[in-house]
Parts: sequence; C-alpha cells; structure tokens
Amino acid sequence: MADVLNVGVNLEAFAQAISAIQALRSSVSRVFDCLKDGMRNKETLEGREKAFIAHFQDNLHSVNRDLNELERLSNLVGKPSENHPLHNSGLLSLDPVQDKTPLYSQLLQAYKWSNKSPFHGVAGGLLNQESLLARASAQGLRARQRPNSLLPPEYVDDVISRIDRMFPEMSIHLSRPNGTSAMLLVTLGKVLKVIVVMRSLFIDRTIVKGYNENVYTEDGKLDIWSKSNYQVFQKVTDHATTALLHYQLPQMPDVVVRSFMTWLRSYIKLFQAPCQRCGKFLQDGLPPTWRDFRTLEAFHDTCRQ
Amino acid sequence: MGVTCVSQMPVAEGKSVQQTVELLTRKLEMLGAEKQGTFCVDCETYHTAASTLGSQGQPGKLMYVMHNSEYPLSCFALFENGPCLIADTNFDVLMVKLKGFFQSAKASKIETRGTRYQYCDFLVKVGTVTMGPSARGISVEVEYGPCVVASDCWSLLLEFLQNFLGTHTPGAPTVFGNRHDAVYGPADTMVQYMELFNKIRKQQQVPVAGIR
Repeated sequence: MADVLNVGVNLEAFAQAISAIQALRSSVSRVFDCLKDGMRNKETLEGREKAFIAHFQDNLHSVNRDLNELERLSNLVGKPSENHPLHNSGLLSLDPVQDKTPLYSQLLQAYKWSNKSPFHGVAGGLLNQESLLARASAQGLRARQRPNSLLPPEYVDDVISRIDRMFPEMSIHLSRPNGTSAMLLVTLGKVLKVIVVMRSLFIDRTIVKGYNENVYTEDGKLDIWSKSNYQVFQKVTDHATTALLHYQLPQMPDVVVRSFMTWLRSYIKLFQAPCQRCGKFLQDGLPPTWRDFRTLEAFHDTCRQ
Repeated sequence: MGVTCVSQMPVAEGKSVQQTVELLTRKLEMLGAEKQGTFCVDCETYHTAASTLGSQGQPGKLMYVMHNSEYPLSCFALFENGPCLIADTNFDVLMVKLKGFFQSAKASKIETRGTRYQYCDFLVKVGTVTMGPSARGISVEVEYGPCVVASDCWSLLLEFLQNFLGTHTPGAPTVFGNRHDAVYGPADTMVQYMELFNKIRKQQQVPVAGIR
C-alpha cells in the first residue's frame, strides 16, 4: 500500500510544484502591476513607450518561463489516485482497522443525505403552497383572485411575531379593534412609532409619529387618522407610503411585510445619519428622511435623484 | 418635548445687548423662522436657614426655584448637582410656609425673556437675561422637537447651531453626557438654564471685585 502512495504522489516534485505556482502567481501580478503603473516619465514620448514595452515584455517572458516550469513539474507529480469518489476523504477507506472505526461508510451515508436535503426543502415548500391554494380555491372564484384576503388570522399573527423577533430594536404590538383586520403599533427604538393598518397581510396605510407623540385617541383606540405634529415625521410618512407601493409581491405577502419592516428599521438612525450625497444633516431644517429601497442609505428628499 | 440646548451668546463687540438680540432675531427671520409669541424663564435662589444647619458646620446648600413659560402649570426646584423636583405652581406658596428652612436670597431673582421662533421642527428662543433692572447677557435655546435622545441628535443640533451662531457655537451641554440614551425631559432643560444663570451671575461678580 505504501507503494501505491509513493507512485501516486511524488512528494519532492509536489513541493517544487507548489513553489512554481507561487512564482507564477507573483510574475502574473507583476504583469498587472506594470500595466497599472503605466508609462514612466522619460524625456521623450518614444523613450517612454520603448521602456514600457521592454518592461512589459520582460514580465511576459517570466510568466511564460514560470508556466513552462509548472507544466514540467505537473507531469512529475502524477495524478492523485482516481478511484476515490470523495477525493482525499477516500483515503479513509484505506484504514486497515475498518471494523472498529467505520468512518468511511458513515461518511458516505452522510454525503448521500446531504445531497438529498435541498430536495426536501423544495418539496416542503411546494407542499405548503399546494395546501394554501387548495383552501383558497375551495372558497370560489373571487377568492382565487385574491387568495391573501383569506389568510387565517393565526397565520398573520405568526408572520408578525416572527418579524418582531427578527429585529430586537423594533417592537410590534398587534391588535384587532375592528374585526379580523390587524393594526400594528411598531415602536422603533426611541426614534419613532408607526401605526400600520393591515388588511390580511396587505399593508393598507401607515402613519409615522414621534416617539413622544400620542398615538391613541381620547377613548384609548389607535389614532389612525391624525398626522404627526413634526414635519420630519410627516415626510417619513410620505416616504413610507411610497415604500408600500414599491414593495409589491402579491404571491408572497409575508415577504412584502418583512421587506417593508426591514426598510423601516433603517430609520433607527434617522437623526444620526448624514446624507450620503451632500454629507450634511440638515436641509431646509429637515434631516435625511429618505432611505434607499435597496441599499437603505440615507438621503435628503432632494438629494436622492 | 424634544432635545434642547441652552447656551450663552456673547454680546457683539461695540453693540448693546438689545442690538445683539436684534441681530440674532433678524438672522432667524432671514432663515425663514416664524415668530410665535414670547417666552420667559425665571429663577429665584433660596438658601437653607441658619437655624437648620446644625452644629456640624455643613455649608448651606443653595436651592433654585424656577418657572418656565413653556410649562405654565409647573414649578421646578433644583439643587446644584442635585435632584430636580417638578411640582405644581402651588409650590411657590409652599416655599413661603417653609420660611423657617429656606430663605429667599435678596435680589437674587434672575430671568430671561424674549421671542419664541419656530423653524421647521426647531424651536428657537432668544432671550435677554436680566437681574434686577439691568440686562446681563443673552440666552439662546434651541429645541429639536422630534428627537428624545440627546446623544442621537447632537450632531444635527450642532449643525443647526453652527449655521445660526457661527463661531459662538457652544459645546455639548453637560446634561447630555450624563444620560447616555435616556429620554430627555423638561428637568434637563431647567438644569441647563440654572447653569447658565449661575455662569452669568459669576461673570458679573468678577468686574465688581476688580473695582474694589
């Protein structure tokens, strides 16, 4: 067995080959360095060009030399034995005391399992979707057009509580004062409060108010109509409404809610983040109220174009 | 109630207090700020009566009783570096009853009066500090309403102050440093006014000592 190993891998040649690879890499990076630096200052334009070309040629030659050397060595190294399906871990099967440590057979089994696992995920997803669709189609044609309006309240609760757990600095309080439609009171750090009116898992309306502003009416219900007293939060309310129109994915309403909340969470630095374009905090007395939908960077309303 | 920064504006060279205040208010109006009535903050000093000091020889602590027109139904009682009590305005009557323990210092009443301006979410109050009949200095209060945590919006406030006061921009008030991310309250503003009044009182004492 020792013979097999020795024939397969010539260790001396292997070490040489590794250093040849290193040499090749450094000569290649010299080529790019030379290209990056460009022409050096010389008296005449012609002299500059000549020196540059000569330098470049030298570098290319050395790359060529190193590559040839590597090719020569790679023939000496020989191929690693090919009869091992799991590459180097196949060497485990060479262990003579297989009965005591069945590592290799266990490894093979684990490999088969892990190969299969992505299919499990896909199949599970398909199955879930199927059951939801079945329930929706049972409710008739109208329901099939808008399957989301039929999501059970428990499902909505579950999605919301998962989002609540996802963001530690954001607390979401869910209530249903008017039948099945949920209303959320989202408190973001000590910065702002958002009232979100939902229809099933669709967000119908949002109002952003200050952390110190009252969000309840006199009879203790959530006040979904009056706007904030502060201009900055009126502006953020406008932007949040824009965001609702931007994040639209009728087939996956839970993703929409989650994206919206992720976007909303970027307002935790409403007063701390300067505008990414002009670098200032204030413009016309307002901080950067716009958050980019993709990058979540802060911009003033007029700086975002 | 938002985060507030109270600072002193030095009187411009060759100008009177009144002229400097006018200069500041004109600047605010140029910025687009709207006038919104007047404001007043006053402060009265009490010291603990000699009879209650006891034999240990403790120095008497000063207590300041203050009012702020922004909170017309409240009265603030503060010790220097100490607790701040927020009470109803009836507290003044109580102080009269407590004459045996706290005595009002004579001619110690100091107050600032001026105009209140609104610019977007900022509330700016430029006032003339008076002690007795004479004007002693200028106070500038800037409040940023939407924010409740001082450390969050200090850089934003600073930018506003730099635009408005130029080279006389103050540093961060000490009350900001003490409370890392606690919610800012009216008491913090009153502490800043107390510190400002004490500073102005001391400034006045120096030249008097020099003449003697």
